[in-house]
Amino acid sequence: MESRAIRTVTVVGGGVVGWSAAAALKRRMPMFDVRILPLAPPADELANRITSTLPSILGFHGDLGIGDRDAVLRTGSGYRLGTLFADWSGAKTDYVHSYARHGHAFAGAAFHLHWTRMARARHAGPFDAYSPAAAMAREARFAPASEGTGAALAGYEYGLQLNTGGYLAMMRAFARHCGVVELAGTLEGVRVSAEGGIASLALDGGREHQADLLVDATGPAARLRSVLDDRREDWRRWLPCDRVLIASAPLVSEPPPLDQVTAIAGGWRWSAASPSATSHGIAYASAFTSDAKAARQLRVATGAEAPGQAVAIHAGTRPEPWRRNCVAIGEAATVMEPLEWCHLHLAHSAIDRVIAMLPDRDFANVELAEFNRQHMAEAIRVRDFLALHYAVSQRREPFWREAAAMAPPPTLAHTLALFRNRGRLPFHEEETFARDSWLAVLFGQGVIPRRVDPLVTTNAEAQTVATLAAMRRQIDEAVPTLPTHAAFVAAQKRQLAR
Amino acid sequence: MTDHQVRKVVIVGGGTSGWMTAAALAKLLPGRARIHLVESEAIGIVGVGEATLPHIRAFNERLGIAEADFMSWTRATFKLGIEFRDWGRIGDSYVHPFGTFGRGLGDVDFHHYWTRLASAGVAVPPLEQFSMACTMARENRFALPSTDPRELASTFGYAYQFDALLFAPYLRAIAEGLGARRTEGRVVAVDRDGDSGDIRAITLEGGERIEGDLFVDCSGFRSLLLGEALGEPFEDWSRWLPADRAVAMPCRTGTAVTPYTSAIGMPAGWRWRIPLQHRTGNGYVYASAFVSDDEAAAAIRAAAEGEPIAEPRLLRFRAGRRARSWVNNCVAVGLASGFLEPLESTSIYLVQAAITALVELFPDGSDARSDRDEFNRLIDMEYDRIRDFLILHYHATTRSDTPFWDYVRTMPIPDTLADKIDLFRRRGRVVKYREGVFLDASWIAVYTGQGIMPEGYDPRADLPSLDSLARGTETLRADILRSAAQAPDHLAFINGYCPMRQAA
Repeated sequence: MESRAIRTVTVVGGGVVGWSAAAALKRRMPMFDVRILPLAPPADELANRITSTLPSILGFHGDLGIGDRDAVLRTGSGYRLGTLFADWSGAKTDYVHSYARHGHAFAGAAFHLHWTRMARARHAGPFDAYSPAAAMAREARFAPASEGTGAALAGYEYGLQLNTGGYLAMMRAFARHCGVVELAGTLEGVRVSAEGGIASLALDGGREHQADLLVDATGPAARLRSVLDDRREDWRRWLPCDRVLIASAPLVSEPPPLDQVTAIAGGWRWSAASPSATSHGIAYASAFTSDAKAARQLRVATGAEAPGQAVAIHAGTRPEPWRRNCVAIGEAATVMEPLEWCHLHLAHSAIDRVIAMLPDRDFANVELAEFNRQHMAEAIRVRDFLALHYAVSQRREPFWREAAAMAPPPTLAHTLALFRNRGRLPFHEEETFARDSWLAVLFGQGVIPRRVDPLVTTNAEAQTVATLAAMRRQIDEAVPTLPTHAAFVAAQKRQLAR
Repeated sequence: MTDHQVRKVVIVGGGTSGWMTAAALAKLLPGRARIHLVESEAIGIVGVGEATLPHIRAFNERLGIAEADFMSWTRATFKLGIEFRDWGRIGDSYVHPFGTFGRGLGDVDFHHYWTRLASAGVAVPPLEQFSMACTMARENRFALPSTDPRELASTFGYAYQFDALLFAPYLRAIAEGLGARRTEGRVVAVDRDGDSGDIRAITLEGGERIEGDLFVDCSGFRSLLLGEALGEPFEDWSRWLPADRAVAMPCRTGTAVTPYTSAIGMPAGWRWRIPLQHRTGNGYVYASAFVSDDEAAAAIRAAAEGEPIAEPRLLRFRAGRRARSWVNNCVAVGLASGFLEPLESTSIYLVQAAITALVELFPDGSDARSDRDEFNRLIDMEYDRIRDFLILHYHATTRSDTPFWDYVRTMPIPDTLADKIDLFRRRGRVVKYREGVFLDASWIAVYTGQGIMPEGYDPRADLPSLDSLARGTETLRADILRSAAQAPDHLAFINGYCPMRQAA
């Protein structure tokens, strides 16, 4: 009997998503012939330009056997513990969204329920004061939780602040080292098969290229997948920024492990610094802010000049990223503004899902449907998390009022109703952001549940105040003993040189 | 500075669900909920000797119940899984284990390797031989699991088989010790607020009127508050789960006290065998459209092992659930909210799920619409997933020996289940849930145990060489046998750990 197993895979797209996909497929499925057509990444594929990543990137590296030395130090990248959100619920307010456990459960109830009670009585510090990672980040200090940071500083994850050029070069070298074969040329056309899949790719010089499975990593244009159909779910009404401008700036000597996202009248701007690069950007809605005005705002705020055109963002996702023998990953599947830095995370998650759900050359609908179902569940909850930032903002400018007035998607509406009522968060499958992330944004933007959970009122108030104070004190005492982020990276580099 | 009032909770109905609710609310919401339970001794309780799922341990732990004490009082035995006999076809037997197949480590589930070996023509034993829980169950052994993930003894969990008629009084003592009040009496009237529709009070036969803020309906099949008073419609699932009666008959334990429950296919349904320390529960769950009550009673008499200690008792039910479990200020827990036959021991689990959700979403005076929505969303998810899992047992069969099996074998099934089966058949894939009662291993056990074999497998199972894979599985089987042999005999373990209290 002829084997129906997939043997040849071709990835199209030469950005970080394409190379990461090729590397992971070859490394984890060594029997595959993996090829890549590394088309120059388009300007609107933000995964190549956004430098902040979520903690999940470390798991992706781990599965490939790429250590921090290669992924971080040799690429000139750094670490990040979270994002400082400034002015989101009005001027002069800020909070840190870190990937950390905030406080710990006591007296039979979760920490955030106790915190809600004390916050309503004005006996609690800001929610992020109970996150070890947020406290470290504000002080520009860094150490991974495992290395002698003690119990007070346990329970956090960190992501990376990438030097994108160095990182792409590393991933490309790694993929080639694993045996990924690079195809030369340009994509001239896509030939559709009788079954509605891709029969072949037309390359320059009249060459035809075939593969059992084609991975579309060409960015928002989805140059392969969009040929089969262009069905998309539109999310623009919930994610109101449809333009982005990005600029690079001079190095800073002590890059903090914390990027900053500041709300402004017509959207938000960000700054992020790695040991070898600093970038600034602005996300805005074209209906409220012209490209020229956005460029001026960015220049005035940061001194950085944005080269090139503004990038247009059509927020939405494909309900069916995998169809027949073509699977769209990264921004070929889901396009969103860069808030909360999910682009590379969603691409990694899709790559993992392709490997975990690999069908055979029959590409049975029932198998692809399960892949697509998981994709949608994940994408919807990430969308909800982003939309949350707008839905609960209290800024008064027209852009913000319009965003806050928009009825949230039903899943987010349910989450908000439940949380506002009593501080509970509904469980969902395929959730990217942990409960503490949702709490960091909700509490950080001033959403305090109407009711105190009965589970916490059995503890005497004075006792709860004392417990909270002790947690905060432990963190405050432990943080200054840690190295600065710059010193930590420098020490790692010295070890590397030995 | 508390802004809560104490809520008065009226629980209608005792039994397992009523007293589980009373004990849990009293324990977990001290000073927040005043519990008043109304039950009538004239109304029998359904408990027929209960088989549970491992989740019950978390419930007991939250209530501060010491395991050995509880087992001794309820004359409980341990349960490593459920044996299914005569399901896929007559003569078949498999165990649905509370545990994983293989060591449960790594990216690729063990059954993919097992499928690869089988499709390469290597003679491999049935999947259950690679489960620690199944192996111990088959050998009638039990020991508490290890917490060291490197040991095979960490790859299983366990539940209990206990006497539900003794569990309710055990919980009652806890609840009353925590201040719950009990009134004996039969509810004759339900008084509702004309505007909101909320229940204001219930009236008992003697005229006593009991008011409350929240009413928990634990009245069993009758669904006295949610179904009768509030009129919440019942979604009927009997087209997929046609069994609508059971006849129960306990016997003195004469045969093996197995560390598992048995569910044995019968001409018009199936029968249970639940061994406790002092007796063995037996019962025949059947579809009355296919067999008469007399025939069913005769069948259970003939099948049950050991000397009967009671006459066969008849129970009637219908598969399905109320459209919503929480309506106005009335929450239904257990059979009052819905019924799924006890094929996979889910009755107490569903009670527990409702209680857990109620504690988390306990109403506090203000508008509770979002709380109710969330409660109903959670309960629906539980019911829907269990429903599909139960239907699978009937659908995945080649039995054609009776009209009953012809019906269930050929009936149309929900699309959600058809897709799951298709997915497994193609490549051994199981729809993954992080939450929910039956996880991957449960589905894999039933699929493969009832003849749904994967045609393909995860391509990553091709990475090791066939030789090393064959050797690895042989070693695994030997290791499992060796580990299982270290566990004592089930009854011997019980006698050392939690021997039943003798009746006074």
